[in-house]
Amino acid sequence: MALVLRFLNGAYIFRHCPKPYASCPYLGTRFADYCSSSLQKPVAASGRTSSQRKSEGDLQGHHQREVALDIASPEEKPEVSFDKAIKDEIKDHFRRLKDDIVNHWIGPEGRPLHEVLMEQAKVVWQFRGKEDLDKWVVTSDKSIGGRSEVFLKMGKNNQSALLYGTLSSEVPKDGESGRSGYCAMISRIPRGPFEKKRAYDWSQFNTLYLRVRGDGRPWMVNIREDTDIIQRKNQMYSYFMFTRGGPYWQEVKIPFSKFFFSNQGRIRDAQYQLLLDKISSIGFTLADKVDGPFFLEIDFIGVFTDPAHTEEFAYENSPELNPRLFK
Amino acid sequence: MKPPILTIIMFTIISGTIMVLMSSHWLTIWIGFEMNMLAIIPILMKKFSPRAIEAATKYFLTQATASMLLMLGIIMNLLLTGQWTALNILNPIVSNMMTVALSMKLGLSPFHFWVPEVTQGIPLMSGMILLTWQKIAPLSVLYQMAPSMNTHLLMIMAFMSVLIGGWGGLNQTQLRKILAYSSIAHMGWMIAVTTYNPTLMLLNLTIYIMMTLGTFMLFTFSSSTTTLSLSLTWNKLPLITSLILIIMLSLGGLPPLSGFMPKWMIIHELTKNNMITAAMFMTITALLNLYFYMRLTYATALTLFPSTNNMKMKWQFESTKYTTLLPPLIVMSTMLLPLTPMMPTLF
Repeated sequence: MALVLRFLNGAYIFRHCPKPYASCPYLGTRFADYCSSSLQKPVAASGRTSSQRKSEGDLQGHHQREVALDIASPEEKPEVSFDKAIKDEIKDHFRRLKDDIVNHWIGPEGRPLHEVLMEQAKVVWQFRGKEDLDKWVVTSDKSIGGRSEVFLKMGKNNQSALLYGTLSSEVPKDGESGRSGYCAMISRIPRGPFEKKRAYDWSQFNTLYLRVRGDGRPWMVNIREDTDIIQRKNQMYSYFMFTRGGPYWQEVKIPFSKFFFSNQGRIRDAQYQLLLDKISSIGFTLADKVDGPFFLEIDFIGVFTDPAHTEEFAYENSPELNPRLFK
Repeated sequence: MKPPILTIIMFTIISGTIMVLMSSHWLTIWIGFEMNMLAIIPILMKKFSPRAIEAATKYFLTQATASMLLMLGIIMNLLLTGQWTALNILNPIVSNMMTVALSMKLGLSPFHFWVPEVTQGIPLMSGMILLTWQKIAPLSVLYQMAPSMNTHLLMIMAFMSVLIGGWGGLNQTQLRKILAYSSIAHMGWMIAVTTYNPTLMLLNLTIYIMMTLGTFMLFTFSSSTTTLSLSLTWNKLPLITSLILIIMLSLGGLPPLSGFMPKWMIIHELTKNNMITAAMFMTITALLNLYFYMRLTYATALTLFPSTNNMKMKWQFESTKYTTLLPPLIVMSTMLLPLTPMMPTLF
């Protein structure tokens, strides 16, 4: 809890957020709303499919109600001008280039060096407004023809993001897929001026910190490194996040030494340490083969240095499986 | 790596460079470069992580392109003059092409993009070989070709290298990237004086190699690859901390340390040749270099950072790392300035 307070009251959050324990009664009532209206436990019996469909309908209705609020009224049509948009885009890129040069002069990441070096906890992503949702992309197996649905919206009071949807492991009938049923939320790669690819440098931290509230499902946290080689885009480092499903917020701390290496979705025999100096994106994947609705509420994602954690890499390579590594 | 294999690979690296140094036939020079490049790839990939393989791939691609360009220049020279000897290149197109090829091998601007990426991805010892031994062969060919090279092209590349080496290294917290940008800047200084006095280029190379070897060995001794872990060495290895202080100041070119010697001689030579603006510009941009060395020194030796348990070395055990010749290297990197009158006569 102290760690959560340290994160939330740090200098890196620009909007004042209410202290979590002070708003517990509100949390309780808010969560009761979630429980009653839209989300029910996944059911297997066929007799209850009607209630499941009803809950799906509620979910979609909930989503449609959200969409309906976003549509502008007919009197306030926004002005659309192609030339102006292009000019604004160019000006925006040059402004970002100027900021980049000035920040380069000040220090790494635009802050003085001693501040960056002494930093022991950092909030990397937080969800306090619609613009924070734009930094994430949600995908599901709909792209290969499956039936899962996933949506991302802001939670109540703009204090968290809610990733919700329905998982369906029905295999798409395209003759080549053997398995299906996944939903994922992946962060967009940070971009600099003129869409130059950037990376996060988390080399002085050693643990990932997530404040989430789930529904008991096991999620996978995937981290991808920044690379220039195409084949390395399939490589990622993953670990599991088991959510408790209770009405209380859960603080998940995953040391970076625990992440295991996989290539093209398959865990490799040869394991390599996750190097933290060029991190490109983080993602949450749900693929636990259980059909039905799911949700994951995320408050913020941060990194910090756990001084008690001295492990460098949790896995070792075997000379029998990979003699090449021991030559 | 098993000792017999490592011996053969090291032998090939050394003999490749020596072939380049000893040859007067262009083909054997090119063969020497290729032997060197192919043999150093396993050294870069010693650690077998995906990052090291990416770094080795980038190194191979850039060096192979540079070798191809060099071969094209050699063949054009053969076509135009009918001879293979590496004497004066009379045709400007050929000499510019060879200059570009050799600057790609050295990591001079505007072909410097591979240096920080490759140096960051490989282990410290491999980075040491990359930034010191691999510079000898291309610079020796530039030394041989010096009378026939285009001064304007070299000066432009020198300015850009010094500027980019200074500007790029400003923000880095990774030590290997800092040393990569320092290498780019020092190469710029070396290239600037090549057409005026190639002996000074070799002097600068020697002093630079001594300082860089010392720096890498100190970093290996303290097992640190980031500024933060280096800043925590004060209570584990206080002697190494003070040595890092003086060697960083020497790299920055501060008198009375020996890093000042090549800069002084080069400025002197440029001024003698009426290139006062060039000398002034390079001196001012060398301040950027000095700024980030000073910042590293400030974080490491001049201030006491709050120490946590994240330092890899917990106790002062006897080191098992290969830091051979560290004391003589430190002495030579810092105390050679009184011998300045003698140094140009050695090369």
